[in-house]
Amino acid sequence: MRQGLHEDVAAVVIGLAAVVLALAVTWQSRPADEPGSRERYPKGWYTPLADTVGMPGTWTDQPLAAFRDKQGELAVVPILLGMGWVVLVGGLGTLLTGGSLGRFLGGGCVLAGMACLAYLMASQKVVKYYNLEYPLWALAVGLFVGNAAGVPRWLSPALIGELFIKTGLVVFGAEVLVSRLLALGLPGLLTAWIVTPFVLVVTYLFGVHVLKIPSRPLCMTLSADMSVCGVSAAIATGAACRAKKEEISLAIGLSLFFTVIMMVAMPPVIRAMGLDPILGGAWIGGTIDATGAVVAAGESLGKEAGEVAATVKMIQNSMIGLIAFAVAAYWAGWIDRDPNGPRGTLAGEAWRRFPRFILGFLAASLLCSWLHSQGPEQALWVEGATTGFTAKLRGWLFCTGFVCMGLQTNFRELAPLLVSGRPVVLYLAGQALNLALTLAMASLTFGWLFRKAVEP
Amino acid sequence: MSPSLSTSRAVLRLTAGTALVAGVWCGLLPRLLEWPPVARHVALMEERRVDPSAMYYTELERLPLRPAWVDDVLVLWP
Repeated sequence: MRQGLHEDVAAVVIGLAAVVLALAVTWQSRPADEPGSRERYPKGWYTPLADTVGMPGTWTDQPLAAFRDKQGELAVVPILLGMGWVVLVGGLGTLLTGGSLGRFLGGGCVLAGMACLAYLMASQKVVKYYNLEYPLWALAVGLFVGNAAGVPRWLSPALIGELFIKTGLVVFGAEVLVSRLLALGLPGLLTAWIVTPFVLVVTYLFGVHVLKIPSRPLCMTLSADMSVCGVSAAIATGAACRAKKEEISLAIGLSLFFTVIMMVAMPPVIRAMGLDPILGGAWIGGTIDATGAVVAAGESLGKEAGEVAATVKMIQNSMIGLIAFAVAAYWAGWIDRDPNGPRGTLAGEAWRRFPRFILGFLAASLLCSWLHSQGPEQALWVEGATTGFTAKLRGWLFCTGFVCMGLQTNFRELAPLLVSGRPVVLYLAGQALNLALTLAMASLTFGWLFRKAVEP
Repeated sequence: MSPSLSTSRAVLRLTAGTALVAGVWCGLLPRLLEWPPVARHVALMEERRVDPSAMYYTELERLPLRPAWVDDVLVLWP
């Protein structure tokens, strides 16, 4: 094999190139009329790249309807191009890391097809509206094929799931905007920032020291996906602490299962408790894992509750960068440290082991956060590039990464843990703490401390 | 086990699994959509233009920006 770049460095190079491409193409096609008008461009400027990353649309009983747009026109080409991005990123990654492009290509195309199948399963109306997100189906497709037919030898060179996930995370950094943290001022900051890190740390310590779960990365991944924002947090922190594929799969499965239950159960519970809708929305936003499920549950309480829930969740979403960085630094500096190894400074040791793709993730986040803060036009520029292109590209990359994970997952390794039920207990205990503390903090901030006196 | 037998078993398993998935996705799930609680939930989400499958806020149909009414209800920076 040729000498190539380290996988993390390749992910950073490809991921940052995709972000810069998105920004450049969106800038080139900036609108001439009212470029700073949010009313005119509610999701940012249009980017031509949006037409190159299609995904199957919503369908009810005819899967072929997923390949038509909202006007009923055939939309196969954008979906094929989306699959093409997967093959392009995988091919570039293979080349940069010293692999053979020829051996990757066939398997890469099959993986992209399997990712498309996972998207198709996730876009069925019932599945979609109950928040059973595509990572679950990507893992299921991979697990099913891997167990039913095994992994053929020609597919093995294309199983570069970690490269897909890491590149997806670097691209994902463009969506993590620091300014979002201030969207609800101090009440939002206190609700999302005081409770979330506290619950994360306490749940992790509970898993390690009380439940005595032998895998620290599993405890951290479960704690992060429960306390921060579900699947995206599980991916980012799981990669930062080098969790096994099986552990990330387990964390995602648990998160999605309980998210569906909480999405359905919390609105009637809030109504039965007689809580104010704004307070209820803040509680939902701080506790339900997945963003879409938060908005769905919040909207069932009313428009204002939906808006508060979505905004609190967005503030939590924006914490991913810092949390992934902190977890990576903690792992590199303390957990992975060899007590018998050569002694260097803590910072030097940590830097040597620090996962480099996290730096790419932070670089993309800081670049887009800085651009976004420069004015209304720049904000719409960044939003157009991210919502129109990078969000969809990282979706395809994550989906393909999860297909690879499913194909390579050996659940036998996790069987003893699953039988013991300890990961489920950890999730439930952490979520109970999260529910109690978030309700207390939301009552304090949204219900009393910052609430204006009601006019008579 | 001979390779041909192994291959035929793999094809059989793949075919059976695919048929099961197709049956659930194209038969059972559309029926579930007719069940009133599910139908109500889906109708509400469609009416409010909510995508519950969004993994991150950038995938939502409407970006959650600071609500316009918020200054009337909260003292944001007391």
